Amino acid sequence: MSEPVVVAESLNVRFADQCVLDDVSFTVNRGEVFALLGGNGAGKSTTLKTFLGTVAPTSGSASVLGHSVTSDSDFIRSKVAYLPESVMLYGHLTGMENIEYFLSLADVKRSASDIEAALKRVALQADAWHKKLADYSKGMRQKTAIALALLRSAPVLFLDEPTSGLDPSAIDEFNQLVTALSEAGSTVFMVTHDVYGACQVAHRIGLLDQGKIVGVFERSGSELIDTEQVHTAFAKRNA
Amino acid sequence: MSIIKSVMFDEWRYWRRTKVATTVILIGIALALASVIVNSIEVRQASAERTELQRISEQTFFDQPDRHPHRMVHYGHYVFRTPSPLSIIEPGVDAFTGTAMFLEGHQQNTAMFSEQRQSSGLTRFSSLSPAFMLQVLVPLMLILVGYSCVTREREAGTLHVMITQGVKVRDILAGKFFSLAGSGMLMLAPLAIASLWAGAHGESLAITASFVLGYVVYILVWSAIVLWGSTISSRSNASFAILIALWVVLCILVPRIASTTAATLEPSPGKLESDFSVVEELRALGDGHNASDPAYEKLKQDLLNQYGVDDVADLPMNFRGVVLTYSEKKLTDVLNKYAEARMDEELSQAEIARQFGWLSPMVSMRTFSMMIAGTNLENHHRFLREAEELRFDFVQALNHAHEHDLDYHTDINRYVNDDTAKAARVDASHWQVLSSFDFAPESAQFRLSHSLRYVLQLLLWAALMLALIKRASRGVM
Repeated sequence: MSEPVVVAESLNVRFADQCVLDDVSFTVNRGEVFALLGGNGAGKSTTLKTFLGTVAPTSGSASVLGHSVTSDSDFIRSKVAYLPESVMLYGHLTGMENIEYFLSLADVKRSASDIEAALKRVALQADAWHKKLADYSKGMRQKTAIALALLRSAPVLFLDEPTSGLDPSAIDEFNQLVTALSEAGSTVFMVTHDVYGACQVAHRIGLLDQGKIVGVFERSGSELIDTEQVHTAFAKRNA
Repeated sequence: MSIIKSVMFDEWRYWRRTKVATTVILIGIALALASVIVNSIEVRQASAERTELQRISEQTFFDQPDRHPHRMVHYGHYVFRTPSPLSIIEPGVDAFTGTAMFLEGHQQNTAMFSEQRQSSGLTRFSSLSPAFMLQVLVPLMLILVGYSCVTREREAGTLHVMITQGVKVRDILAGKFFSLAGSGMLMLAPLAIASLWAGAHGESLAITASFVLGYVVYILVWSAIVLWGSTISSRSNASFAILIALWVVLCILVPRIASTTAATLEPSPGKLESDFSVVEELRALGDGHNASDPAYEKLKQDLLNQYGVDDVADLPMNFRGVVLTYSEKKLTDVLNKYAEARMDEELSQAEIARQFGWLSPMVSMRTFSMMIAGTNLENHHRFLREAEELRFDFVQALNHAHEHDLDYHTDINRYVNDDTAKAARVDASHWQVLSSFDFAPESAQFRLSHSLRYVLQLLLWAALMLALIKRASRGVM
């Protein structure tokens, strides 16, 4: 039975006289990977910011785990693991220290062995654990951030352009991780302009154009979403 | 609370690893420690020296042989102001005003031997008091340490990550505030230790505790100013520029404007101008050394009438002594009138300058610090008044001896030959009229009650910064 986790209902966001989100509605269920696909200026980041409570909806509603973004943003933030496009962690701290620090901020207690297990799970090389983050590649930073999300046991993941700037093998590793998290019951909501990457991991894709959802694609059984079909629709909108 | 602690510890870890902030804090601690040690040694030496000099001066006076009493009036006496225990931290006006005074008949000398008057320009620069260090340099160091505490997180994007992970802005800012305040407290530690030392050397517990507490509030205010500057700025360089500008305004410009405004609103006549007025008024009083001066004609007539005699030689007391007593009283009244007027002017100027504490926490801290330490202007004035009281008392006591213990005929014939000069002497036991001078700061209760306004100024600054940070925190998102 599907359980709605991330819900947008007739969501509208206006900045001055500009309509950024126009009657956007979608639902992401528990354990589902939902990708919001769109070009530059489509409204992807605004949607994400609305769910994070940093942009207020003009009308309509948005909720996470049944809590409204307008009244319960603190609760939502405590349940969501957010990975921005460029993972922002502390360069002067090691991977381990970053995780320990952010866990302490989330008031979550984990042992060193728990942290090591999480880092192994995200396939971050052991010799990098005690190196300063300033020396990490973007992929390594992302793995660290995902390990943090795992350790926080965050039931919901918000990913902003997660594969941007990653090399192909890192993208593969990332996709496997997201799939594993989804299978373990985590709900993943990602915004991206990477058609191929979205089709690889998403159970459903919403195509966003000029603030409106103009198409929804979903897997048929165990088959991945047809990349060609999505690409054609995306290209038509962004021609 | 654990989140605030995490943010605070991480900030300290960042400072430790980047080394710049650690270096600044260590320099701050070293400077505070050095200034406390150097000042403690200097003040202890000065205190012991002045106590000993006071003892020697009194003993020298007592040890004088039989003399004509008026010679002792001009022989004079020295009084020394022993520094208050807390002047090891806050020298206050003591560095600018004199610490010793020569007391003699018919004169009110100014205090002498101020540290600043004796120092060359370079020495002045090097005489760094712990109070100056804490009031002016520690805020600058807090700026150097913390100007990027929020902007750095904003520029790196970690602030956004923290907030989107559910960390409250309030907790982040509180953690940053306590990390900054902690570094300030480290620089304050030498002062706290020195205050304990002052407590062990006679200062009351209430005073030492209030003194340290005042500086704690001041450090908290500056920590809040630094945090606010960093919170409202989008970039570290903007935060640095804003905070340095604030430091210049609050620690350099406002105190300077305060003293200039005070001097403009309450102009005081120059020393020459005052001296001419005093001399003019004193001239009208007559010369006490000359009993035939027409200014004392009425006094003479009144006495002759009172005792029913025709000549001052027939009076039951030495008329010359009477004239000296009379003229000293009149002269002292005039001198005191001018001295009080000058002190009133100085106090009015100080009061105007102190009002600038509403505009600068440095001014309010400086005033509070001097008030509590007992090194303020009022204390210096009290020293002048007490010294003057001592001067007047011993001069009049000697004049009394002149009047009653020295025969008029012997007195007027004292320059005839050596024998008459010897005869015109009084016994050295008369020199015991000199009271011991032991100057101490006002009581703890007095100092505390008179510093309440400046506590209020500091607390208002604390409240203002709290309100500004609260407002700025809304814009962090």
